[in-house]
Amino acid sequence: MHWSPAPKEKSHGHGGHGGHDRHAGKPFLLHAGEGAEVQLMSPSKVVQPLTLEHGRVSVKAMGTGNYHALVAKRSVGDLHESAVRYIYMNGKPSGVSPSLLIGHEKSALEIEPAPLAREHWRYYSNTDAQFIVRFQGEPLAGAKVHMQTGNGSSAEFAANTEGLVTIPLPEDFTYEKPGRMANPPSEFVLTAEHHVGTERHITTFSYGYHINPEHWQPTELGLAVIGGGMLIGGFITLRKRRRREKK
Amino acid sequence: MPIWKNLSVIRKFVQLLAFLFLVYGSVFVGFYSADKLSGAFPVLSCAYDAKTADYCVLIPLQHQLGHGLGPAIAAGKFTLSLLLPILTTLGTFLLLFILLNKAFCGWLCPLGFFQEVLGMIGQKLRLNRTESLDDNLVDRIRPAKWLMLGLLVILLPLASGLGFVGHELGDPFCQICPSRILTSLFAGQLNQLYIDTSSTGYMILSIIADLLFGLILVLSLTMRQPFCRICPLLAMHALFKKVGLVKLVKNYTSRCDKCGLCAKACPMDIREIHTSKEKDILMPDCTLCGRCVEFCPDKGVMALKYAVIPIKVSDPAYFKERNKAQKRWEGKQKPSRRVKKD
Repeated sequence: MHWSPAPKEKSHGHGGHGGHDRHAGKPFLLHAGEGAEVQLMSPSKVVQPLTLEHGRVSVKAMGTGNYHALVAKRSVGDLHESAVRYIYMNGKPSGVSPSLLIGHEKSALEIEPAPLAREHWRYYSNTDAQFIVRFQGEPLAGAKVHMQTGNGSSAEFAANTEGLVTIPLPEDFTYEKPGRMANPPSEFVLTAEHHVGTERHITTFSYGYHINPEHWQPTELGLAVIGGGMLIGGFITLRKRRRREKK
Repeated sequence: MPIWKNLSVIRKFVQLLAFLFLVYGSVFVGFYSADKLSGAFPVLSCAYDAKTADYCVLIPLQHQLGHGLGPAIAAGKFTLSLLLPILTTLGTFLLLFILLNKAFCGWLCPLGFFQEVLGMIGQKLRLNRTESLDDNLVDRIRPAKWLMLGLLVILLPLASGLGFVGHELGDPFCQICPSRILTSLFAGQLNQLYIDTSSTGYMILSIIADLLFGLILVLSLTMRQPFCRICPLLAMHALFKKVGLVKLVKNYTSRCDKCGLCAKACPMDIREIHTSKEKDILMPDCTLCGRCVEFCPDKGVMALKYAVIPIKVSDPAYFKERNKAQKRWEGKQKPSRRVKKD
């Protein structure tokens, strides 16, 4: 069970900053989530129950902006499942740090982003992302975390003694055209599982990740042009000095 | 002269603290708070810097014009409420501006501080420095800051939002801003140092950005504040300079005509502070660094004031001490090789 953004109609804006429909509800899909209880948690931990319609919810901020948690939970017998996703909502300043919501125990087993790629920062391919796996609020040493991306990559990682797991986001985009708009993001889903006696806990954390812009933004060229700028600067300085000395 | 009495040393210390706060802000205020602060206080650091506390007022301005106002006008959906974000941005800018006036440039700006540090390195390396630019050159450079503000911060983002020009020009100042490269480099990121090959427009803008950064690196060694002279924030500050609480005042005397040390000390080559007979001598190019007050040899002729409270008043005893300290710092200037040959 995991969350992903629901496909939406194409907007006419150039994206990236929301445009003026930024207060509209955001649609999300809960995959394999039949029978799950769904709720939205505000930055100050106020909970709003949501109703799934054909596995889909439309999420609106509860008066305040900042990061909200979309949480789905389901317990069948000894199996306890949860899916968490963080969503940035526009609205009045919440007055509290997202760390309050992120650190809050939303399900017994949870994958906590450490930190979440906030506002102007995104998860990028070919970079590392860090998470802490917690069980009943405590770091879970050695927890196994499985990563599956929308581009087909999968791998398994183990948390260290502090429950910290580093996920190298794979370079698995098919790069054809340069530019952010030509390379839509994909999704990655992290799944952790923990057994306590006969009880089985499964949790997922899902988020978008983007192709690393280094494909069309080579640093080497940037360095070379800075070198060119320095040469021009040196030339201007020398010319100025020679003129002054002639006087 | 004890360093705690030297206004320039105090200023450098404040600049260093501001640099650390603005570049490594999230280390002090927390990773998530950094973004919230950035929304609330428009000061020159940058959204591109991963550790930033705050970012520049020019970023929200460009984005609100390019992503909010422009598209709404183009779609025929303009309402007065669309001006609210812009007014909020300007309002928070004014809030800090009333407190600091143009002293933001001379006391807090990370790029200004970086250029000054390079200048100090240039002095210590005994490079042949140009302490004052030629008057004609200064006059030619002065309109550039207005052009940067009008064109890169206001007109082009708005034109991009209206659909007259490409998306590349939605935030053109950020695309060429040397502070973006500087603060992200200091935060340990190389990701703002690039040539963007995704379109001709982005490529041209990124080439300009890197060339400009390279130029600043070299020119700052031998020339005072090269980028400050064309910075759009200087122009924006100039628009509101009357409402700021920090003031630069002059009590003109006939001795001023023969002196001119204030203008020589000015890193922005504002010769009008020497020639003006006005009380208020806060000129559009001023960064309120206070050097003119430090290097005025006459008692009470020049003063840096916070509202009516004098912060620094010119004084002959201070001038003598400060002059000695300056000479000690600069050491004996080595003539250039060409002069030696002659």
